[in-house]
Amino acid sequence: MMGKKIENYRRLLSVLLCVVMLAGVACGCQKSEQTQTKEEERGEIHIPVIFTVNPTNGKKSNQQLTEAFNEEYDGIYQVDVEWVLETEEEYRQNLKRQNVTDSLPAVITDLRMLPSFYQMMIEDGRLEDLAPYLEADEEWRNMVEPAVMEACMEEDGAVYLAPISTAAFSCSGMFWNKELFEKAGIERFPETWEEFWECCDRLQSCGITPLALHTEGTGWAPMLIATAVIADTSDGAEFMKELFPDTYQNESGVMLAETLKKLFSYTTDDAMHADFDVSFTNFFSGEAAMIPNGYWMIEQIPDGWRGKTRFSAFPGNKLISSPETFGWAVVSDYSDEVKKGAVEFLKFRTKYNREERERLMKSGEGWNVPALSDYIDAFSADPQIVPNYQVKWNSILQEETLEECLPELAKGKITVEEFLKKADESIREYEAEQ
Amino acid sequence: MKIGKMKSGIQKKYLKYTIALLILALLMSSIGVWMFTYRRLSSAIVDKYTSLDEKMGIALDSLFQKSDEVLAECILNTDVQDSLRTGNLEEVEKTTISKYFAYIDMEHVSEYCYVDNKQNVYTRSYSKIDYEDFKKSKMSARLGDSYAKTKWFLAPDTLFGEGKQAVFIGRYVHSMEYAHEPGMLFLKMEEEFLDDILGSNPASISDAAVGIMDGNGQFWKMWHPDGYDLPDADQKIMKEIARTDGEGMIANGEKIHSGLLSAYRQKETGLIVYTIVPNSVISKDLGKILIILSGIYLLVIAVALNLSIYFSKRFTRPIQTISEAMTGFDGNDFSRKVELNTNTELDQIGQSYNQMLVNIENLLDEIKLQERELRTSEMNMLISQINPHFMYNTLDTIYMLARINGEETTMKMIQALSKYLRLSLSKGNDIVTVEDELENVKSYMEIQQIRNENLFRYEIECQVDAKRTWILKLILQPLVENAIKYGFCEIYEGGFIRITVKEDAGQLSLEVYNSGKPIDGKMADKINALNGAPLKDLRECFPDKKHGYGVTNVITRLRLKYGEDVHFEYQAENDGTRCIIRIPDDGKENREL
Repeated sequence: MMGKKIENYRRLLSVLLCVVMLAGVACGCQKSEQTQTKEEERGEIHIPVIFTVNPTNGKKSNQQLTEAFNEEYDGIYQVDVEWVLETEEEYRQNLKRQNVTDSLPAVITDLRMLPSFYQMMIEDGRLEDLAPYLEADEEWRNMVEPAVMEACMEEDGAVYLAPISTAAFSCSGMFWNKELFEKAGIERFPETWEEFWECCDRLQSCGITPLALHTEGTGWAPMLIATAVIADTSDGAEFMKELFPDTYQNESGVMLAETLKKLFSYTTDDAMHADFDVSFTNFFSGEAAMIPNGYWMIEQIPDGWRGKTRFSAFPGNKLISSPETFGWAVVSDYSDEVKKGAVEFLKFRTKYNREERERLMKSGEGWNVPALSDYIDAFSADPQIVPNYQVKWNSILQEETLEECLPELAKGKITVEEFLKKADESIREYEAEQ
Repeated sequence: MKIGKMKSGIQKKYLKYTIALLILALLMSSIGVWMFTYRRLSSAIVDKYTSLDEKMGIALDSLFQKSDEVLAECILNTDVQDSLRTGNLEEVEKTTISKYFAYIDMEHVSEYCYVDNKQNVYTRSYSKIDYEDFKKSKMSARLGDSYAKTKWFLAPDTLFGEGKQAVFIGRYVHSMEYAHEPGMLFLKMEEEFLDDILGSNPASISDAAVGIMDGNGQFWKMWHPDGYDLPDADQKIMKEIARTDGEGMIANGEKIHSGLLSAYRQKETGLIVYTIVPNSVISKDLGKILIILSGIYLLVIAVALNLSIYFSKRFTRPIQTISEAMTGFDGNDFSRKVELNTNTELDQIGQSYNQMLVNIENLLDEIKLQERELRTSEMNMLISQINPHFMYNTLDTIYMLARINGEETTMKMIQALSKYLRLSLSKGNDIVTVEDELENVKSYMEIQQIRNENLFRYEIECQVDAKRTWILKLILQPLVENAIKYGFCEIYEGGFIRITVKEDAGQLSLEVYNSGKPIDGKMADKINALNGAPLKDLRECFPDKKHGYGVTNVITRLRLKYGEDVHFEYQAENDGTRCIIRIPDDGKENREL
């Protein structure tokens, strides 16, 4: 009886062993399914953007803005920034190249500073009309100051440049070196153009170069001062409001040319054929006492220079501003979801800009930076706002004629008349191309 | 092998099971190895050709990037940009542009054609193509509605040639500054253009069918090995794959009818680089593995069989030796011992067998001895059956003579002896009635009284039915003999013997009391200790046979007859000795008589 039980038990064991062996074979032969640890798609939409890194100080533009956006929209949208070490002028020229090679990022900046390119982009349907988005988004509309909205809107009601919230941060004036001024015995920034020229003479007589200027890249620095000078007269102020003037051979044009010529007598030797970055370096190395530029340069002030760098409106209480120049556009080629994300980014920027202004104006945050305090004072002192020549004048004048003629005018190789003639030629040429 | 010649059934069974197990193991392992190998090999082949396909796909990416960059360079070229401006170019400027395209950094450009926004056509100097030719070719429609993306397309050459299919690369050329009509640039590529994706070593993929197809399933290029034809069913599958979304690797060794398919989709062009590993390539490698596997298995079977036979012999040979020794044992020859030296349990079996032989031999010797003794006993018995007749006749004659001569004592003694002997012999029966037993002891005591006058007197008290109560014969006589011999050894007269037979608690009790010298205490203890002792101990209790022989005889016979429940006891008393015997069940053993 017992023996039979043991026999049965052995048989059962044998069967079990066979099953185990078969199972072993089966398991051994089973395809080793690789547990693919494929990352779960987060469904995050990437928005390609190109921003510049300042070649002079290595600061990344709009870094805080993109970081704040990416943090807030984590998992939904992600702004993929390609940081390029370029001057603003190089960036703008690259926009044109990227456009013709169909490789533009989803969001582009500085477009309004290239008037003909901007027009071409609209005509070619390369820009997304943001008006429907703004119309559908009351919150966004309410963030924008009416003047800014007006400046960004085209005659047909289309909006290609997403507005910033306020014009408060779009103004340009004069940054000046307090130490050098004191060295020359000048206690405050000149309030009239007569005082300004006297100031320049005084600085020069003290061995200090008064102005940090350049000739390349639409001649930004000298042109800011020169257009501010023009606007000092009522005719000049009207002239500056004109879009694509018919001629420069008028009183304002002459004033412009003469002022430009005079300005270059107060600048550094390396100003010729140089871009703004050279001027920037000259100012922040103490080589020159003044440099004209906008609010955005305050955050670019190098360490150790915050205490002695001051800001003032141009003589005659003038600030140059065209808020639409700060409008960013969305390229229409992209998919709807990317465009939606890009628009969301632009709205975020408006909001960010408004909050920045509120912080600055109400809480006084950052007021320990004298230039910022000066800027707020200047903006709050009911200044005369002079339109930015970059949004008003033709691109051939800005991108070709000025580069070519400014050094010659400065050096006296061409006369004021010849300079103005060349400027008018640019108008004709531009019209022909249009 | 020599399985047929094997004598051992165990070995045969062992080999049979071993072979069955081996076949099962090999079968299972071959299934496992085969499945594993097939998968691994397929996987390795898929990995290899998927990797190659991906490389070719990446090469196609590079080729596209290169064409994109070169065309971008063309677009950004100052002269080309000038050609888009409002004013017409000088002839020399046009010639410059025509020549410019001839020197672009791109290989395998067969022809080029640039058409500006003023209907000027720029080609190689020998290509006499004007705007009308260009318009008729309808090449402009190929660029679609993209703004300025580089476009690859396969189309009949209606521009440069006679309609032969060729690969073209085209792109719109927009002005960088102004919203003018765009120009168009087309490059016609040589047939070898796409060969670049094969890399520097096209032979490495010679086994596989490689090709390029577009999203519509149109084949642009095929590098198929000789003898391979892409079946229609596979073409259909590939067209379905071509219609799916995704970029990069879109098929990784997918099984199709003619083999395994890997495919890579180039993002911008939508072109698909495919690689098909034909079934013949997979089976070729599998065939090699199968041959090797078969060889290994045959070797394993051969080695396993030989080892099985060798090892089975090592175990079965001793078993065979034991078996032969056992079957060859004739019951007489105890000298055929088994000599094993295997260092296993078999050695113990051999030793046990040898020991068993010794035991059997001893037993046989003993049986023979007992048989001899039995025969002697039988002889004696036969002799003893003859003697009593002679002895009774003789005693009758002596009695008659004594009676004639008037010798009363002699007559009494002869009568007593005759009774005694008749009862002692009792026709060979060993069980007698209590009456006969008492008669026997009485005769004995009378004889002893004649021999030793006045030495003792006796009493017999029987409280049982003497005729119906049975007892082993000659129990009381040895006891009485001892009583006379030892109890009256120191007296010459006045001795007394009392025999009492009674039933006590269901047992038959026999008591022999004698006056005179009491039994020695040690002797009494020694005799009393015999109750319950093994029979062989009884024999050895009084080895000198001078003392205790009668008692031992009585006890032994009682034990043999009634078993261990018999009680035998000597009690030393002040004035004598008492011997008590208790027989169980009232002598039931008697009933058998």
